Amino acid sequence: MEEMIIRKEKFHDLVERALKEYTVVAPVDNEGVVLFRRIATPSELTLEFSNTKIPAKSILFQQTETLFTFSQRESVTIDVPEDSEKVLLLGIRPCDAQSLAVLDHVFAGELEDPYVKKRENTVLIGLSCLAPEINCFCTSVGGSPFSAEYTDIQLTDIGENYYIEAKTDKGKKVLDGMSDLFRPATEEDTEKKKELEKKALDAMKRRMDTDDIVDRLENMFESSYWRKIALKCLGCAACTYACPTCHCFDMLDESAVARGARVRVWDSCMYPEYTRQASGYNPRPERMNRIRNRVYHKFNYYPKNWDIIACVGCGRCISVCPVNIDIIDVINRTCEAEP
Amino acid sequence: MANIDELRRIVKEIVDREDVKYVIGYEKGTYGFRVSPSFAFTPEDVEKFIFSPLCVHNLAVYPHLEEKLPLKRNEKEDTRKIGIIVKGCDSRAVAQIIQEKGLDREDVVLIGVPCTGVIDLKKINARCPHLMYGEVREENGNFIITAEGDTHRIPKEELLCDVCTQCENPNPILYDVLIGEEVESKKEDYQKVKTLEKKSLEEKWKYWEKKFDRCIRCYACRNGCPLCYCEECMVDNLSPQWVRRSVTISENTAWNIMRAYHLAGRCVGCGQCERACPMDIPLMELNKKLEKDVKELFDYQAGTEEEPVLAVFSPDDPEEFVL
Repeated sequence: MEEMIIRKEKFHDLVERALKEYTVVAPVDNEGVVLFRRIATPSELTLEFSNTKIPAKSILFQQTETLFTFSQRESVTIDVPEDSEKVLLLGIRPCDAQSLAVLDHVFAGELEDPYVKKRENTVLIGLSCLAPEINCFCTSVGGSPFSAEYTDIQLTDIGENYYIEAKTDKGKKVLDGMSDLFRPATEEDTEKKKELEKKALDAMKRRMDTDDIVDRLENMFESSYWRKIALKCLGCAACTYACPTCHCFDMLDESAVARGARVRVWDSCMYPEYTRQASGYNPRPERMNRIRNRVYHKFNYYPKNWDIIACVGCGRCISVCPVNIDIIDVINRTCEAEP
Repeated sequence: MANIDELRRIVKEIVDREDVKYVIGYEKGTYGFRVSPSFAFTPEDVEKFIFSPLCVHNLAVYPHLEEKLPLKRNEKEDTRKIGIIVKGCDSRAVAQIIQEKGLDREDVVLIGVPCTGVIDLKKINARCPHLMYGEVREENGNFIITAEGDTHRIPKEELLCDVCTQCENPNPILYDVLIGEEVESKKEDYQKVKTLEKKSLEEKWKYWEKKFDRCIRCYACRNGCPLCYCEECMVDNLSPQWVRRSVTISENTAWNIMRAYHLAGRCVGCGQCERACPMDIPLMELNKKLEKDVKELFDYQAGTEEEPVLAVFSPDDPEEFVL
């Protein structure tokens, strides 16, 4: 692993050079709401943010994705968009990077999903968390604010400089020919980084009790617990759209006269339409069924199938829920619930 | 603000009534300044009820969220009443729904609480960030915040929700029991709307484009709104597809404007849509514009009159817009 230091004022040069080779997607401040957007110049990006409102999954698994377009004149033609764009996803937090490892299980199957190509063509530049938010709990689900496990390059803000670790070949390739921008990291730099890491870990206030969570849930599918939680749920999709591991989608044709497109859009298991069948029958008729499914999918089915909890502890669902349905509280209180 | 002991005592009596299913109020949330809607089925459940300037939710949304599954053989429909704690705007929402025949007056027991304004969570979180738990009370025009051992005194107007700063109906207009003294109402001057109205078409579009661009169509605005209770929302209809599912600036604009129009003369101005929006879209600016128009054209205010504005006709109604 190469560990280097770049002065903050030189960071824009790095991005400038990367822009020649890559499409750069980075956190952009839109009236106080920080979101991942394509940037044309380094000045558009911000690295001063807690976390983006919408997770990085939105770049690889887009909210609206055109699968193909079609038109009909004498004959029908179908065009599948070519996706060979090389993307540099810059400023991704450790939790979001971990979420991509979760999503890989879903999309990397036998059929080629647009996600797979995008994932291959994307280089992840992570950004360590100096100040976790009030609802952050990544340390409870296998993450850490300074984790570089799932990124190609890891950036850490250590004051006047960024500490850079180029970890994979993909990452090293981005920094090829940029050596004039860096100096090697000294022991003092590494020490400073360690200090900040400890501070970040200490700042993590909330904890989710995930011990035996699979078994705990196993025995309470029929519990009245779920009905109580569901009482106050409004049934909106804020939690699922803000979630870095939620991946439900719908596909439909949007056409006008002789041409159109088959699009894939995010869908939410919180909507009753999500499971409503053509006959009108709905196997998850109540919000209680839907909330329970969301919790089980993340903390029971997914660990059973892939040996990984499908929650990365970013806390976004807690922060966006208008009525304070709090996943940490929901999981922690499963211990007290009657089966 | 209502005395909490009195509120709990009265609510307990109501929960205990045979014709009442449950009462919806507020309880302490799980972190920070969050308060959560709370459902009391027994007098014991009422012990956790609170009332403070952090009780932001319009609980009038809940009667329509009750799920009615098909009845089993010999099963009778539960027609008992739902008790709801209502502030001024919340009571207007219930009144409006009743006018529209969406609810029957007999379906609900309204526990009215005069309101001196609720806090904007974004504003208080910006002032006191990263707190695990905080409480707020009001004292002589200030909010006294006690959080993790510290006490802060912040002038009320700095933390109030925008809609509360000029609330014309802080006192419940419809209730079965009123808890606490009535409070003085303020005057809405629509200053923000007037400023926007003066802008050119291009400027207005530039203003809204940035906002609609970040809409993720999670429909938290709709689901949080007590007046959004259509059996099937137009956006959920696939045939015909009035608004496409694609999340693009044009579809997002269509959605947000259609929703605002659908609430013209119906929105009670509680601000719940804007509070629920995870993307900070100032939806109340759209709603306030329509509220102002309806007030000027028809001298009408949602939830305070006998009948819905679109259900009445007066020969004096202005008709300049009819070509």
